[in-house]
Amino acid sequence: MNIIACVKQVPDTEAQIKVKADGSGIEEGGIKWVMNPYDEFGVEEALKLKEKAGGDVTIVSIGPARAMETIRTALAMGAEKGVHIDDPALNAADAYTTAAALAAAIKGLPYDIIFCGQRAIDDDSAQVGAILAEILGVPQVTFVTKLEIDGTKVKAVRPIEGAQLVIETSLPCVITATKGLNEPRYASLPGIMKAKKKPVEAKNAAALGVSTDAKSKVAKMIPPPARPPGKILCADDTPEGKAAELAKLLREEAKVI
Amino acid sequence: MAHGIAPIGIGNEGRQVFWNADSFELFLFLFTGIAMVIFAVGLFRRWQMWTAMGKPEIRMDNVNERLKLLWRNGILQIKTWQDPYPGVMHGMIFFGFFVLIFGAAFDATEFHITEPFGIAFLRGKFYLVFSMIMDLFGLFVLIGVLMALWRRYILRPDRLTYKGQPDSTPDDAIVLLLILGIIVTGFVIEALRIHVTWQQAPWEVWSFVGWNLAKAFAGVEPGSAKAMHAATWWIHTFIALGFIAYIPYSRLMHIITTPANHFMTTLKPVGQLEPIADFENAESFGVGTLEEFTWKQIFDSDACTRCGRCQDGCPAYLTGKHLSPKKLVQDIKTYWLEKAPAAVAAKNAAAGDGKLAKLGRILDLVSLLGKYKMAGEGYQPPAERALIGEVVDLHELWDCTNCMYCMENCSASIEHVPKIVGMRQYKVLMDADFAPELQLTYRNMENNSNPWGVGSHLRADWAKEVGVKTLAEDANVEYLFYVGCAGSFDDRGKKVSIAFAKILQAAGISFGILGTEESCCGDSAMRGGNEYLYQTLAQANIEVMKAYGVKKIIATCPHGYNALKKDYPNFDGNFEVYHHTEIIADLIAQGKIKLQKPVEGTFTYHDSCFLGRYNNVYEQPRKILAAVPGAKTVEMARNHGKSFCCGAGGARMWMEEHGDRINDARAKQAIDVNADTIAVGCPFCLTMMSDGIKDHSKEESMVALDLAEIVWKAMGLEEEKAPVEVCAAPAEE
Repeated sequence: MNIIACVKQVPDTEAQIKVKADGSGIEEGGIKWVMNPYDEFGVEEALKLKEKAGGDVTIVSIGPARAMETIRTALAMGAEKGVHIDDPALNAADAYTTAAALAAAIKGLPYDIIFCGQRAIDDDSAQVGAILAEILGVPQVTFVTKLEIDGTKVKAVRPIEGAQLVIETSLPCVITATKGLNEPRYASLPGIMKAKKKPVEAKNAAALGVSTDAKSKVAKMIPPPARPPGKILCADDTPEGKAAELAKLLREEAKVI
Repeated sequence: MAHGIAPIGIGNEGRQVFWNADSFELFLFLFTGIAMVIFAVGLFRRWQMWTAMGKPEIRMDNVNERLKLLWRNGILQIKTWQDPYPGVMHGMIFFGFFVLIFGAAFDATEFHITEPFGIAFLRGKFYLVFSMIMDLFGLFVLIGVLMALWRRYILRPDRLTYKGQPDSTPDDAIVLLLILGIIVTGFVIEALRIHVTWQQAPWEVWSFVGWNLAKAFAGVEPGSAKAMHAATWWIHTFIALGFIAYIPYSRLMHIITTPANHFMTTLKPVGQLEPIADFENAESFGVGTLEEFTWKQIFDSDACTRCGRCQDGCPAYLTGKHLSPKKLVQDIKTYWLEKAPAAVAAKNAAAGDGKLAKLGRILDLVSLLGKYKMAGEGYQPPAERALIGEVVDLHELWDCTNCMYCMENCSASIEHVPKIVGMRQYKVLMDADFAPELQLTYRNMENNSNPWGVGSHLRADWAKEVGVKTLAEDANVEYLFYVGCAGSFDDRGKKVSIAFAKILQAAGISFGILGTEESCCGDSAMRGGNEYLYQTLAQANIEVMKAYGVKKIIATCPHGYNALKKDYPNFDGNFEVYHHTEIIADLIAQGKIKLQKPVEGTFTYHDSCFLGRYNNVYEQPRKILAAVPGAKTVEMARNHGKSFCCGAGGARMWMEEHGDRINDARAKQAIDVNADTIAVGCPFCLTMMSDGIKDHSKEESMVALDLAEIVWKAMGLEEEKAPVEVCAAPAEE
């Protein structure tokens, strides 16, 4: 089976994010970059599928030179090869352009199933997987927490509010992974060493023949306002008194109830 | 009787060797020869088994140092004495036998070597004292053996079991009965001889055991006594020769393997782990098969006497976990005994036509035939088992806190901890199969250089309050304060860092920190088997430290202290490393800080493993407490080298604990001595003891404090802030 997993390199969840003074982006100095955690679920599921059904796993990623570390991380986990799309015009593209570039790269590869994370934790757009499926013209199941594949039959579980949907489709398709699907593995040391020698193909927009005209643009980044200090409820020392005071403040000051 | 020697009599007291046994000499030599051949064959087989498997390792260098270890632990039995009952028991047998063997050698030397030249030295007063000493030490052996039988079969202490299941084998009884037999028959022979000859040899009263025992034979005809003497003589001889022949086939082998193991003890600093040298080209990492141990690690298991000293203080075992260091070593031994014959046969088959190889091949054949014979038709070699998972189960592997109790207290100098870490390395680096919570810890260490996973940019935030400069701001300082992860990120640990920084400032010591340039020390990665991650972190630290020209380092966490001091030199990181208790004790001694404010309470000091057993820092923390005005100190039952781990070492800090909690067991020991403060010198211990106090619902009456916090309080330089009353009425104008 030919399995594709798309990954994005994002700042570590604990990294301190500072918006550039001109609002054009974030300060990248001192940031630890990691694989988007949802993409990790996708890579893990791809590897599990390969171990069960045979075949190989190809990692596709868009990003500057540093994104190679993330591709190598996925290769260390056990993927066979990678495609690294590195083009300044694509590296910070919007969801549509990103999906179009991924689709262009994937069209040139044999594929039976494509895994994406349900969203990237940096821009939180949650659109790339869906657009990718549309461009490729294959079915998609998003926010998947359980996946079973039997021949070309696909059965996926997707949680919705208060319930779970069991969705059936067939290969080829796009699956976007979310927490609960699996526990991503820790790369073995031989895996890390071997990953250094695995093939990674370099691509750019011209080679892929994709337009870099964005459908949407980030006009300006503005950091969230500093959080005002907390308030200690002191009017009454009994639980009832404190509850009454809290309710009053939520209604009158915060205006949320 | 050889000519030219004065006859035995008053003034020339002595004993006729081979009395009543003149004609036995030839047979004695014959049987001794047979016993020696059986002994030699057994030893040769065992030698082949020791050398058939395992990676190379040098343990024969620095012979002077090694002879000292042999003297200390093999001859003087220092480690054995540390437990009174078994120490005395073993000492009686060991020293008893030692003297008896020398005595027999004296006898033999005189009879076979000097007498033919007309010289007899076991005469007169020397003989009298000699015979008294021989009887005395014979009596010691007798007492020792009776103590051993009593202990093993009547008292049955837990350490001679695994979780209450006795692990005695028939061999244990055979060995003790052989010794008992040798001594009892020896005394009976002596008594019968004295019974017959005492009138001619009244000085035999010096052989006081035989003399008194002879009274039991009062009334026996000399003729019958002589016949009994001859019979007992042969029984004694056969038991003694049987004992010699039995050595290589029984636990008596420890007479050879245990001293050898003392001789081959590692000379590296306590707890230092051998680094993996070449990640790029090595094919396998850690220990996944028996062959991946070094030969010495395998030999260790053959030096084990199942005494159970290790188990007696193992925090995992004593809180009902699977691990028993004794069982682990014994399981490896059993596995080795299963696998070694085939390895020996393969080595012999490949060894060419040397005489020893030929002898080896003959013995291989004999041993194989023996197995066919014993197993009946169709001998099957034992089923192949996996080292990790089957011989050593995964619980055992991960239960260990690396506390070093087993190694410190092992009377055979067995090195348990590196074996465990080696197998962990295999599980982590090769199989990438280990606890999910530990995977998270490692990811945190990879991404944010601390096990908690707090953003690495926050590492120096604690220092803002006290105005500590980083080396980037001012590198011209005497000491680098290596804060470590707990001191930087853990709320409780940060308070310790602040207290210690204030002490240094008050004492006028020039120091700085690395701030966000500091990395995790990597101890938890190293001891949890992730050597790759550990080396990455260690190298990052070493690089920064060297760039600033750091020479002296102080650490408040014994894990960082130990790693920087012992393990960083493996990567060319050579610094003078101190623990903050060493520095504080020194500041107090020099009068640079004054402890003037009474801090009332009953303090008990909990020895951190990585400070005590690993680095022999036992006294400085105690001196600090002794200098605190108003503080009363008590020791917990387990202290110093026998201290009980808090449960957090060996990466256990980051793992789920099953069954009874080790920290609760330790906190209970502090409660038992009525301490109200557990003083510690380690942030892991601080967390574990604080939690233990809470688990016993003692947080109202007990507290765990770092020594730096206690000292800062006792210095009285800071007004103690009352707890902030958030709802206090605003002060009236």
